[in-house]
Amino acid sequence: MKWLRLSAYLAGIGCSLLAAWWLFPGKTTEAGVTAPPSQKWIPSLSETEEFCRFDHPEWRRAQTIEGVEIAADPECRPDNPYLIAAVVKGTNRVTMPTLMKTRLAMDAVVKENDRDGDGDPDVIHIRLEVGELNGSTPDGDFLIPGYRIAPGLTPGLWVFVPKMRGMATVDAVNLDAAPLLRAPSPPIRVEQGDTVYLTLENTHYLPHTIHLHGVDHPYRQADGQGNDGVPITSEKPLLPGERRTYIIRPRRAGTMLYHCHVQTDKHMLMGLQGLFIVEENRPDNWLQTFNVGGGKVRHPSRAVREKYAQEYDLHYQSLDKERYRPIQEYNDPRLVAKGMNRDYDITDNEEDFFLLNGRAFPYTLRDSLIVVEPEQKILLRVVNGHPHTLALHLHGHKATAIAADGVPLAQPVTRDVHALAPAQRLDLVLDTHDDGLHSFGQGIWLMHDHAEKSVTSDGVGPGGDIGLVVYRQYLGDDGIPKLQGMDLTPFFNLGMFQRQIPLWARSDAWEIFSDTGPLPPDTLRVILSGISLGLALGLTWACWRRWRQPS
Amino acid sequence: MIRPVLLILFLWLPVAAFPGHRMDMDSMVMNENPTRLPQGCAGIAGDRTITVRAGRKYAKPFPGVVFAYDQRSWEVPPCTRLTVRFINEDHIRHQFMVHGLPPDLYPMGMFTIEVSGPGEETASFILPPYKKTYLVHCDIAQHTEHGMKAQLKVAGGDGDLASLPGLTKPVRPDRYPTRWTGRSLLLLALALVTGAALVWLGRWLIRAMTEDQP
Ligand SMILES: [Cu+2]
Repeated sequence: MKWLRLSAYLAGIGCSLLAAWWLFPGKTTEAGVTAPPSQKWIPSLSETEEFCRFDHPEWRRAQTIEGVEIAADPECRPDNPYLIAAVVKGTNRVTMPTLMKTRLAMDAVVKENDRDGDGDPDVIHIRLEVGELNGSTPDGDFLIPGYRIAPGLTPGLWVFVPKMRGMATVDAVNLDAAPLLRAPSPPIRVEQGDTVYLTLENTHYLPHTIHLHGVDHPYRQADGQGNDGVPITSEKPLLPGERRTYIIRPRRAGTMLYHCHVQTDKHMLMGLQGLFIVEENRPDNWLQTFNVGGGKVRHPSRAVREKYAQEYDLHYQSLDKERYRPIQEYNDPRLVAKGMNRDYDITDNEEDFFLLNGRAFPYTLRDSLIVVEPEQKILLRVVNGHPHTLALHLHGHKATAIAADGVPLAQPVTRDVHALAPAQRLDLVLDTHDDGLHSFGQGIWLMHDHAEKSVTSDGVGPGGDIGLVVYRQYLGDDGIPKLQGMDLTPFFNLGMFQRQIPLWARSDAWEIFSDTGPLPPDTLRVILSGISLGLALGLTWACWRRWRQPS
Repeated sequence: MIRPVLLILFLWLPVAAFPGHRMDMDSMVMNENPTRLPQGCAGIAGDRTITVRAGRKYAKPFPGVVFAYDQRSWEVPPCTRLTVRFINEDHIRHQFMVHGLPPDLYPMGMFTIEVSGPGEETASFILPPYKKTYLVHCDIAQHTEHGMKAQLKVAGGDGDLASLPGLTKPVRPDRYPTRWTGRSLLLLALALVTGAALVWLGRWLIRAMTEDQP
């Protein structure tokens, strides 16, 4: 009889547990007569950045440093003018106080030997290192050196960097990357006919090379060393701690490219790609050898100054979470190499982050603005570093393509969407004459890749490679564009691209679009599931007592 | 054209440079201090010279490490004037950078020697009197993380730093695939037998405790 009673108890306990489980309130609750009220999003000060905080507003002015004229750049965060002076004069020729404001190594850009006697140096020695941004560390759960492409976004990146000195981070306390160490790999400018020694010092823990894509260069050097940077054909990959010098004397001018040719579906797309511009030969033509930063060329070449009021370098590139995952997950280079070369499969993955000059919206509004005046002709050198076609669209303008891949177009093309195949370069002329074709007049005009995923950051938009063409009268003296659209505060919050903030949280009608408040669980369900659970507990206790009693 | 410019530069360099700073094409020294005594030191207790070699080849004994120093731990008495001869055996930059020094003598608490490529540089600094372990590393992006990290102990130091190749465990070690060996299988079998024996032992213990009472 004891066993019969026991099974009756167990059946009772089972049934009441089942009922409690079934009746327990679920993750969502049906609304009654009125839906729950809206939840107002209030930005927390500690998690929201200012639109523009910058320690060196004096960098925005037009200025002359050591005889080098540097054009004004009135946006929030212009490039360091001392760095521009140093790379124009050469790091071997500039004075120590200027060089000390740059973190460039003294041999980063060595300029000498005016061979043709035209007043500018013709033998240029450029040294590049390889930097990793947002990599892992065995010393804790953080990424080093830190680099944000947008608030709260720290994807893993590799870049070529002008040879540096000192720390890779801001200082011993702030572990963000030093300003020189940033994306994109810096545009390099040399003069047609210069002898250029381009030395790669591989400071990274994986092998790399430099391929001078489209730049006139011999396949081999006089001593037989490979000069094409291709591990399949011309040379072995350059190992960590080693260096190699590529030697060129480019005969033709044009907008070209340089990139690492080791595992290009990984290394090039991790960021080891940059513009390489051969400028036309002119007398007294001191070039800005590196254009580190947001794209504006503050010391354009003679030939560019003859024809254009301004010049900008625009580098579009994208990043894939799966591709860079190994550098944030592992320290051991063998695990990184396996994770990238064998576990990662580019044919199964999609790009997640889209950058203009190393940043995503809204950071592009701080240092990658194109600030124009009416009646200007502006040269834009665009490179498509995405693995997809770039459909570059300018609002309010139809730009004219005058050269592709460094070759002048026989028939210039004026349109508002310019297609660039992967690795392709276009020289675009942005004409701000308000004639109803080239420009529709003054304003703040959007500029973006019209492949729509590119205007998101990991699928959250607006983000990605959105940039702006801002007419000067629409730019405040603080470098902030006088926008009259939606409140951008949520985009400067760390949670925005982590999908934590409703898009129209700051709209006047936030109560319509904001997140809904929660509902309390259904009263009947709370009572019934509680009773069932209580029943199960009571039965268990009774059963236990019965069992213990001697029959 | 070039030579006079360089000459002017080098003549002018010592004037422009900050005290304790030296820099040329091949190397850089920051916060060198062979004379000024840290607080609490009555005098220089002694001179000590170490030769530190840096390069990829010193990482070879340690699987998964790429860059390293030839030694990863040094000990000196308090108030020692330490002269570091730093030899770079790679064709890239490396640094010997010490952190945590008194900031009144060493801005940001740092002493640095950087060598631009194959070559060497020597500089000295004076250590404070107290017991402390100083971080020594190369701060080129990802060099510390890939092995170029060491420690300098004064008066025996106040502990060991993490992730020193061959010496200490990382804070966040990597994970590797598991493979069972004969030894681990044998250990498992032994542990099984022990577990079974524990049941028997437990029963025996309880019995012994209850039955012994009269
Ligand atoms: Cu190093």
